[in-house]
Amino acid sequence: MINKPELLAPAGDLERLKIALKYGADAVYIGGPALSLRANAINFTMDEIKEATTYAHSMNKKVYVTVNIVLHNDELDGLTNYLKELEKNRVDAIIVSDPVVIKEALTNTNLDVHLSTQASTLNIETAKFWKEQGVTRIVLGRECTKEEIKDIIDNVDIEIETFIHGAMCAGYSGRCVMSNFLTNRDANRGGCSQICRWDFDLFDENQKEIKGDKPFTFCSKDLSLLKYIPEMIDMGITSFKIEGRMRSLYYVATIVSIYRKVIDEYCNNKDTYTYNKEYERCLTNCANRDSIPQFFNGIYDSTCSYYNGREEVSNQDFLGIILDYDENTNMAIVEQRNYFKKGDIVEIFGPNHDIITYKINNIYDEDGNIIDVVRHPRQIVKFNICEKLEKDDMIRVKKVDKTINM
Amino acid sequence: MNKIITLPSDFNEIEKTKDLVDGYIIGIENMCVNTNLCISIDDLDILKKYTSKDIFISINKNMHNSDLDKIKEILIELNNYNIKGVLYYDVSVLSIYKSLNLNYDLVWAAEHLTTNYNTINYWNDFGVNYTYLSSDITEEEIITISKKSKSKLMVTLFGYLPMFVSKRHIVKNYLEYFKLEDNSKINYMKKEGKTYPIVDNDIATQVYSDSILNGIKSYININVDYVILNGFDIDLDKFIEVIKLFKSVNKNNVLEYYNKINNMFVNTSLGFLNTKTIYKVKKNDK
Repeated sequence: MINKPELLAPAGDLERLKIALKYGADAVYIGGPALSLRANAINFTMDEIKEATTYAHSMNKKVYVTVNIVLHNDELDGLTNYLKELEKNRVDAIIVSDPVVIKEALTNTNLDVHLSTQASTLNIETAKFWKEQGVTRIVLGRECTKEEIKDIIDNVDIEIETFIHGAMCAGYSGRCVMSNFLTNRDANRGGCSQICRWDFDLFDENQKEIKGDKPFTFCSKDLSLLKYIPEMIDMGITSFKIEGRMRSLYYVATIVSIYRKVIDEYCNNKDTYTYNKEYERCLTNCANRDSIPQFFNGIYDSTCSYYNGREEVSNQDFLGIILDYDENTNMAIVEQRNYFKKGDIVEIFGPNHDIITYKINNIYDEDGNIIDVVRHPRQIVKFNICEKLEKDDMIRVKKVDKTINM
Repeated sequence: MNKIITLPSDFNEIEKTKDLVDGYIIGIENMCVNTNLCISIDDLDILKKYTSKDIFISINKNMHNSDLDKIKEILIELNNYNIKGVLYYDVSVLSIYKSLNLNYDLVWAAEHLTTNYNTINYWNDFGVNYTYLSSDITEEEIITISKKSKSKLMVTLFGYLPMFVSKRHIVKNYLEYFKLEDNSKINYMKKEGKTYPIVDNDIATQVYSDSILNGIKSYININVDYVILNGFDIDLDKFIEVIKLFKSVNKNNVLEYYNKINNMFVNTSLGFLNTKTIYKVKKNDK
């Protein structure tokens, strides 16, 4: 019997939270109105947290709230009350890096406490220490190799969570404050301005410039462990975490749905499971940087660096979201997210059906007039399609290009 | 009065400064970052020359499973020397330390995480008697911490400040990728007229601030146990001059000395001593 791991997704707001859960996440992590490491995201209000937990619990799923900043003196006041509010609103756990939050939570609430990756737990002794302090789960540092993860699981009886997909920090979490120095925005209090994505001029010790074909940068490729999911399930990892509370609805839906399928396919029948290149293609098309396994395979050499300057472009693949489908007329009502037109070949995916490849035929506006192109943001249009669609299914460009370097 | 200790670059510097300072921070090879002088565990006997000084040993890198045996070996070996304490970042050092009966103290030196008095007291409850304060906090915050924390405190008031540590070899990877040659011990990265020292050694890539912290004014305002002066990438003669100024500073001459240091270097600053970093959670207006 295989223990099926939790699939944990990011959610920047209620809409993305509902999509993540609908597309197959077992749990979501969100930022609350204070003390969260994504200060620039639109974080959840307490009322929204209440709505989020009510919604998630109705699906037998969970909501974790990040309380993972490194506290300064000023943030100590009000901490206990804030944690009590989270408990009152029935969050399932808090994700924490500063030990003082752990102590306050365990002393004053019944909240489960997960230790954030910000604490950079990389070894057995550290994991044992935190278990003794009452932490119920550790999000390991992203620098852990598969062997190190396995050693920690085998030697410490605690839930282990690891990242499986998303952007990578260039430095050890907690040890990079370049943002503080270059922009005055506090990286350990949610203000990271991603200096690691900047270009710099590099010089030797004699102040002579060292110049490659592309500028010097700290920028790393993204993480993708799609191919290693079966191995990670066998290792006994409790929770697979997807990075990206600032990511789009489309990104969350795509990534969650792919990993959901892989986890289910392997857990349902380990013997017949085969790696599906099509899933890899979907992830690749959704990314704006190359994705590789990185530290999981013990690799952090130049193959992990990303030297394309800041040429990554925003993803234009997401064409629209299904608002409704009329089974009598076979008419789908769509809200546009990017330009598309009659004759385009698209893919439609959703949580409850296989990917549908479809050539767009006649498109109608809200008044029933035939139109050739859909170019206005959030424009509502309709088209006929025989396959039954569902609300929140998504339409994307069909293409085959980049590959993940596994 | 705050004691003065430095992060020496070599033993020549120690010889030249031993009558000026109260102690030193020295690292153990392959076990530390942001530490200028690192020695092998086999060379610890050299510390016996400096028994009158407060010696702190740094093993402040992020630890992996493969480091755990080495930590134990180092902690036990250090018990044979008259050291004041061991600086650590990773909690594994504390765990192993607690399993042994050692006669020196631990210093919670988690760089940018040592930012409030309650967390300092949390670690103090585990027997960690010293904290090396973050360089990202203001003088006002340091003063509050010194009033409300149970631990003895250290704070850097001079030198380039560490701002990044990575397991990745950021410089070496760039050289390798573009097939470039360079064996510099320190490189420099530049952006918008500012220059940042970057060191990529066997352990990690470490990046430092563009400016030299000149915190001599804070020296007379704060009450901590140790003030740390860091001579990393600074001319030794000038560094010795700075040490002398810190040694003799008082309320009457502090402004003059502050200006003297500013005039010795083109790129000094007050760091975060008088500037709070921005922390503001974006409002949700819904």
